[in-house]
Amino acid sequence: MAEAEETVTVTLDVNGESREVEIVADETLVETLRRRFGLRSVRATCGIGICGTCTVQLDGLAVSSCSLLTQQVTDAEITTSEGLADGDDLAAVQEAFLEHRAYQCSYCIPGMVVAVDACMKNRPDVTFEELREELAGNLCRCGTYPQILEAARDLISARNQAG
Amino acid sequence: MLMMRQGLVDPARLVSLERLDALRGVSLDDNTLVLGACTSLTDVAADDQVLQRAPSLAYACQRVGNVRVRNRATIAGNVAEADYASDPPAVLITLDAECVIQGPGGERRAPVREVITGFYETSLAEGEVITAVRVPTWPSASTYHKYISRSSEDRPCVGVAAAARFAGDEIARLTVTVGATAELPQRFDDVTDAVHGGVLDADTRAQVAAAYAERIEPISDARGSAWYRTRMVEVFVRRALEDLAHAHGVAGGVR
Amino acid sequence: MTVNPIGLDYPMKDARDRVVGTMRFTIDHEVEGMAHARVVRSMVPHGTITSIDTAEAAAMPGVIAVVTGADLAADDRIASPFFGIGRKDQPPLAIGKVRYAGEPVAVVVAETERQARAAAETVWPEIDETPFATDHLEASRPGAPVVHDDWPDNACGAFRLHRGDPDAAFATAHRVYEMTYTTPSANPVPLEPHVGVAHWEDGRLTMWSSTQWPHVVRNELANIFGLEREAVRVIAFPLGGGFGAKGQVKMEPLIACAALVAGRPVRLQLDRDEVFFTVAKHAATMRFRTGVDADGQMIAREIELHYDAGAYANTTPGGMGNAVVRSPGPYRSPNIHITANGWYTNTVPTGSYRGALTTQVAFAYESHLDEIAHDLGIDPVELRRRNLLHDGDEYATGESMHDVHFAELLDDVANAIGWGESAAADGDPPHIRRGRGVAVILKSTPTPSRSEARIACRADGTITAYSSGVDMGQGLSTTIAQLAASALGVHPDVVDVVDPDTDITPYDAMTAGSRLTHAAGIALGHAATDLLAALAELAADQMEVAVDDVEHVDGAVVVRGAPAMRTSWGQVLADAGVAELARDGVFQSEGGAFAEPMDVKGVASVHWHQGAVAAEVAVDIETGKVTVERCHGAAFAGRVVNPTRARQQSEGSIIMGLGPTLFEEYLLDNGQLVNPNLSDYMIPSVLDVPVALTSHNMEHVDRANNEIHGVGEMTIPAVAPAVANAVFDAVGVRIRDLPLRAERVLRALDAQETTDG
Repeated sequence: MAEAEETVTVTLDVNGESREVEIVADETLVETLRRRFGLRSVRATCGIGICGTCTVQLDGLAVSSCSLLTQQVTDAEITTSEGLADGDDLAAVQEAFLEHRAYQCSYCIPGMVVAVDACMKNRPDVTFEELREELAGNLCRCGTYPQILEAARDLISARNQAG
Repeated sequence: MLMMRQGLVDPARLVSLERLDALRGVSLDDNTLVLGACTSLTDVAADDQVLQRAPSLAYACQRVGNVRVRNRATIAGNVAEADYASDPPAVLITLDAECVIQGPGGERRAPVREVITGFYETSLAEGEVITAVRVPTWPSASTYHKYISRSSEDRPCVGVAAAARFAGDEIARLTVTVGATAELPQRFDDVTDAVHGGVLDADTRAQVAAAYAERIEPISDARGSAWYRTRMVEVFVRRALEDLAHAHGVAGGVR
Repeated sequence: MTVNPIGLDYPMKDARDRVVGTMRFTIDHEVEGMAHARVVRSMVPHGTITSIDTAEAAAMPGVIAVVTGADLAADDRIASPFFGIGRKDQPPLAIGKVRYAGEPVAVVVAETERQARAAAETVWPEIDETPFATDHLEASRPGAPVVHDDWPDNACGAFRLHRGDPDAAFATAHRVYEMTYTTPSANPVPLEPHVGVAHWEDGRLTMWSSTQWPHVVRNELANIFGLEREAVRVIAFPLGGGFGAKGQVKMEPLIACAALVAGRPVRLQLDRDEVFFTVAKHAATMRFRTGVDADGQMIAREIELHYDAGAYANTTPGGMGNAVVRSPGPYRSPNIHITANGWYTNTVPTGSYRGALTTQVAFAYESHLDEIAHDLGIDPVELRRRNLLHDGDEYATGESMHDVHFAELLDDVANAIGWGESAAADGDPPHIRRGRGVAVILKSTPTPSRSEARIACRADGTITAYSSGVDMGQGLSTTIAQLAASALGVHPDVVDVVDPDTDITPYDAMTAGSRLTHAAGIALGHAATDLLAALAELAADQMEVAVDDVEHVDGAVVVRGAPAMRTSWGQVLADAGVAELARDGVFQSEGGAFAEPMDVKGVASVHWHQGAVAAEVAVDIETGKVTVERCHGAAFAGRVVNPTRARQQSEGSIIMGLGPTLFEEYLLDNGQLVNPNLSDYMIPSVLDVPVALTSHNMEHVDRANNEIHGVGEMTIPAVAPAVANAVFDAVGVRIRDLPLRAERVLRALDAQETTDG
């Protein structure tokens, strides 16, 4: 399937911008986002949807971009960590990660950011414990989990105070 | 998709059904939950009707893989993949769920138990697709135990689903299915039928657990040897039955 | 300057890029005209290569070159197609024979990664299979399959230490204990895989690589191609995790050879399974025999260590010396005999894994001591106290110990876990049993070793620090900014740090062994001292005062007693017509303990790293499943440069350590690795982290003592023994083989019942 490099042109909605790109027919979303859109935050690591470093939002839902064909997602809004920030203004999740130093080597961190953001948007009543359970699907080998949880706890209490 | 990435299948053409809204969502037909084929596991797990009428199914769907998998995986896809180590099939089989299957010759229905026929094998014929999964809501209590022997993110070493309806203190109906231990989910109605009319006390629970442990010939893999799985079947069938007894308030229900 | 940069909880300089995801890793690096490589690997663990048919691949679309080991051996541009730190025994591609399943046998270079993959699938090496040995004890026996013809007994390093008179001491011992412990092979699993780009231009090689050891990579590449070292340039961006996996030399020779043959810049990024095939932790079998007196003092010890080297030597031959000196643990050992042997096997070549060569022996000696304590009826913490090393004590090597804090670390972790109080918790179901355990460890730092650093000040006011230390999540470049700032008396904000580049940044031995914070700190200190002196001289001359009359205040030269007479460093340089003023500093440690491998003695480490862990577990006696509920780690840091990052090192080490303690291990079937993916080989998730996880990085009590020590791997070796000891405390079974799999614990519980019944 790969040798012919059969290409197709698709229109993708990435980080609020609609763009036409030429892709290989069976290209995965992570390949497209990295190669065609130059988005560094999306990183293929395990290749089988386990580790979470390629997490992006598809219409707001967290998905593994290594396990999706780009052609499957041409009618969805795709959001990466870069797209959560608004220019110089970081998203609340990103601010919380910065505040709690929730980064070490940082390879997994954008995926974590996207996952926390998606969880809080999709589950408006999510508890800290539920968020922790959901984050179990994003792996961090440095063991930054304590700081990530501190950031998550802050976000939940900020939401509770606001709500 | 993963099988494709790993080179296990190399399809010339893929057909996506995900834009068919009619195949998505949960409804109630009499007392049966009707899960549209393309309803994601996330949506099944969060659905109020499922949570009320089949909480063990909601829980099992919530325990599959990670949130990204659950957001994409569908209930029909879960059945059709026939993965021995997946969580929902054991619950679906315990609840007597049926698949609605559309094929070139029309529509038919088949119990999930008969649709899954082996390791990644189903009885679906060429040209057939599952359009819905129908889940009866007969039990007054149901439960699912996912036992993981390694990291929290591991797949089950043993998964046990159990469901019961009681008439007073008596067991009117009891079903138990053990997943992730053999090629197919294991349900032995003769074992559970034998205790109908009795009380789900500690002796009965131990008797059913022992019978399941004896009957199942488990596989061996990195999550546990056959010897270990046999032991875990006994432990988790017993614990699942304790849940049911506890939910029903059986005297001395929980040790 | 208003703040002291040492101890400042200063965020990483590139924190924003780290969180958003815009930071650059090696995976992001591209070179114009770059082609892509894909490795073909052996499916069998041992055999002779009879042929490799590359014709079909070579004819496929986009393919530029298909290279085999035989091609490398025949290429006269390659001076020696072998590399290795300990022995030059590893070819980039198997030459003549394959020595492990997963070994590279060919590489395909194509215009695109997909084309390279497609072509690689058509390359089928014909290999005559021969008997193989995947177990190091099996490989050590006469008649075992021979992995390297040059080493017919499979020997891959041997060291020995003898001190006092162990035989005589055993004869007088109150009791003698002998137990054998094992730890399996594992993978460091950095999330960023190994990745590199090689680019040849005019006989000069530039290599961008995800490496922890840029200068060693440079030297090895120069050796392979018969080049001057200066003809090779190695550039390392921050790593997406290293943990030892990216130490020494890994894929760089293969990528450089592929680029040479293809005549194009070549990029290679490994898939996850290939990371598992590239480096593994040493499996080990460790026999400990100990004689104690009636008070529980260890008066006689005999330690026999066997480490699995895998198919290629890498660090193992010399590493056995480190295994020897780390194996007594932090205890007085007046009469001791230690041997350590490495053995070649037909398995993935070994290398560093955070806590390298130490996590193995620490599990053994801390489990062993616990067993002795229980048998003697002495509290395990108390028995440790009776044997721990104190300042001035002689270690097994004969060196006098200094700046040791084992007793304080032990007390710290024991108190934190509530040692001596009941572990039972209200509300636990009857099948749950709780227990607590502790462990104390030491680890030597590479000695002798060398780190150089440079600091430059410029007329435009900028200050730059240069080091070849690699940032791999510990935040080293920010630490370097803090260390340089402290030495210069400025704020870390004004110090830029350059990423390692062997053409630009000065020599550094390796980013390993928790050595950089200490070594770079000293080198930067020397550079700063010289730089400040040179600036003072220039300024004094310009201000027409004596050099003794000026001082440095926050990036400026000021005349003592006349604060108005102040010139910024940049202005001093501008006025002197000097664009840049730079000074180098050197850290060089001296050792010598390993000069005679069969008689290890003397200074094995300029500083002994020290750590401790206490754990509380809940064991389900019906399933054998162990859950670590609480964990506290302590490490001696000397001075903490950055509190949050130090905490992340100690707690991150504990989290990483839980993997090989509870479930991480290479699983082999018929010589093949069966779990080289993150579904079958699990690493800890957030739910595997103890709900209560705390740490303490201990500092000098004497505020005048400013020595700084690394804290990168002080808790990880103590995790497994602390947890195993807690399991014993909970349910009375002793597991001497890692990991503490549920099934293993349940079998032990069954055996205990049989014995007791």
